[in-house]
Amino acid sequence: MKSTIKKALLASALVPCALSSATSMAHAADLRMSWWGGDSRHVATQEALKVCGEKYGHTIAPEFTGFAGYLEKLTTQMAGGTEADLIQVNWPWLPLFSRDGTGFADLQDLGAVDLSQYPQADLDGVTVKGHVQGIPVSTTGRVFFFNTTTLEEAGLTPPTTWEEFFGAAEALRDKEGEDYRLFNAVSESAQLLVSLAVTQKTGKDLVDPETNRVAWTPEELVEGITFYQRMVDTGAIQSRQDEAAEGNVKLYEKTAWAEGKIAGSYEWDSTYFKFSDPLAEGEVLTPVPMVTFEDAVTQGVYRKPSMLFAVSKNSSNPDAAAEVLNCLVNEPEGIDALGDTRGLPASKVALDRLEAAGAIKPELLKAHEIMMASEGPAVSPFNEHPELRATFVDTLEEFAYGMVSAEEAAGYIIEGANDVLSQFD
Amino acid sequence: MTRKRALGLGYLTPYIIGLLVFTMIPFGASLYLSFTDYNLMSAPRWTGLENYTQLFTKDRTFRRSLTVTLIYVFTTVPLKLAFALFIAYILNYKLKFINFFRTAFYVPSILGGSIAIAVLWRYIFASEGLVNMLLTSLGFEAVNWFGDPQNALFTITLLRCWQFGSAMVIFLAALQSIDKSLYEAAEIDGASKAHCFIFITIPLITPVIFFNLIMQMVQAFQEFNGPYIITQGGPLKSTYLLPMYIYDEAFRRFDMGYASAIAWVLFVIIMVLTLAAFWSSKKWVYYAGDKRS
Repeated sequence: MKSTIKKALLASALVPCALSSATSMAHAADLRMSWWGGDSRHVATQEALKVCGEKYGHTIAPEFTGFAGYLEKLTTQMAGGTEADLIQVNWPWLPLFSRDGTGFADLQDLGAVDLSQYPQADLDGVTVKGHVQGIPVSTTGRVFFFNTTTLEEAGLTPPTTWEEFFGAAEALRDKEGEDYRLFNAVSESAQLLVSLAVTQKTGKDLVDPETNRVAWTPEELVEGITFYQRMVDTGAIQSRQDEAAEGNVKLYEKTAWAEGKIAGSYEWDSTYFKFSDPLAEGEVLTPVPMVTFEDAVTQGVYRKPSMLFAVSKNSSNPDAAAEVLNCLVNEPEGIDALGDTRGLPASKVALDRLEAAGAIKPELLKAHEIMMASEGPAVSPFNEHPELRATFVDTLEEFAYGMVSAEEAAGYIIEGANDVLSQFD
Repeated sequence: MTRKRALGLGYLTPYIIGLLVFTMIPFGASLYLSFTDYNLMSAPRWTGLENYTQLFTKDRTFRRSLTVTLIYVFTTVPLKLAFALFIAYILNYKLKFINFFRTAFYVPSILGGSIAIAVLWRYIFASEGLVNMLLTSLGFEAVNWFGDPQNALFTITLLRCWQFGSAMVIFLAALQSIDKSLYEAAEIDGASKAHCFIFITIPLITPVIFFNLIMQMVQAFQEFNGPYIITQGGPLKSTYLLPMYIYDEAFRRFDMGYASAIAWVLFVIIMVLTLAAFWSSKKWVYYAGDKRS
């Protein structure tokens, strides 16, 4: 009995020591973290926050939502200085929130974050005027997905060139019926396909990094717009009018997609399962190498840092936020909990750990490898500036409805895009 | 200050604070911001009338959006009022299960402004939706409701008209307050139902028509959910109402100054139309004890 009491006293004396060694220099803090995503990401992130919070003695309130409306909410919070301590930020939004590198806390000043786990190129992408504004969570890019079950039924294989693509589009409709389409391209996807065509032909991204103006000539853009029209004319994709008539339903919500009647799309590599999950039993979605022109200058992959985790400059406890951030991306507890819910991690230690544990799904790995292996010019974050994108998408819609010619559309897009870019001179 | 007055002020204080903080201060702030260049991330920069000049001289989207909004309001409000009055007139009769019908007709008003109904609307009017299924089964051709700029606004208008319940309830109350002896006297004099409706019912409910007109007009100018969810303002901005434009400028393009200027133009339009309605009401609205013959 006496010895039991002694042990209990000893244990109780050791507990505070153990706790103090587990907690770091930052005092226990109440933090908030905001992010967007789908259900699997929400569940995983909440679990990661729980284990990382317990590790460092902090409590972190989660604030999560879908992508739609997240930017608007974050903008309002940033304007009022009420943003969460830890924030998931889309990479193209960096110029909006941190034009001069002071929008978020500089992670170089917060010792808890191990920046050595990231390639310098990734860190450069999140550095503004010498200030590291966040941790690059992963690298993402657009990849071609094809429903190989549908293609096989029609005796086809995934196309590797655009000529093969148009041939396959025709063959698919001939063999399977008029309600079958080889591909999907609406709104932003259509815009990105136009951009892809021009980039492959010219080797240039939309924005010239030297001049901060549109790099393409009107003639080059006309060729891209004409390429889009060819996709519509050949029945490879549905016309803008018909897409609108269906109520602008998302591809993965369409019955035709689930049934394999739409055989492919050009999507982010990390969204593989969003598009493969709704497919009917037996339908297989396969990521394939970039489809290119035979005379392409480049494959033109649209690759970029997908998102970053930033620490608020208004956080009352930035050191604690940095500890949690490092735990999420570089420490075993966070890595295991988050898994591949934000694509394949950019952190070397995280990627090694997940690969060793076999925690990365092979389809996702394949899509990621294709994207990483493809080449193309560096993509400017201004490609996704909301106003620039709206100009591009709206003008493309006017072209699709026959309101403007390809030449006029190219002129409007270049003029509108340069107007936006000039605001950042 | 008497105890009674202090108590009264005490009761009013929460409302006054709410009015100041959530209405008057933002109201004043938006007026100031409309004369500035303000992107949320840096301090507002005074630009004078630049936003307004841009709106009225260069902005094609504003002109398009304003036109669409005016068409929407001038179509929706009369249609909705007429339909609400028609249903209220029917429900004013002593029918079997009348209370059930009154409740049933009110239900769309409770649901109508919700996101769920807007999504449902999208499916009903989709190319292979319920409406086109009905049309084709009756031998008509399917209509491209959302894809054709000529039709898209109609679907949004219909959604608004479908929410006629609140206007209907007010009309119903007004109809029930009309003295029945007036109808009896008219019938003795040989008046038909149509005559009774035109020369007794309508004049006696003009105050309620006027009230509903103002309320529905103000609400229609602020419509957002329907076009935002169903058509996203398209195609070709054919359903791009001004509140959507304000939202896009403020929260997608981060131009709070410009968005505030559009909001103030919208406010002035509503105010002018409301004043015009009040001015015209002297000629067509009849109140109890009115000396006009």
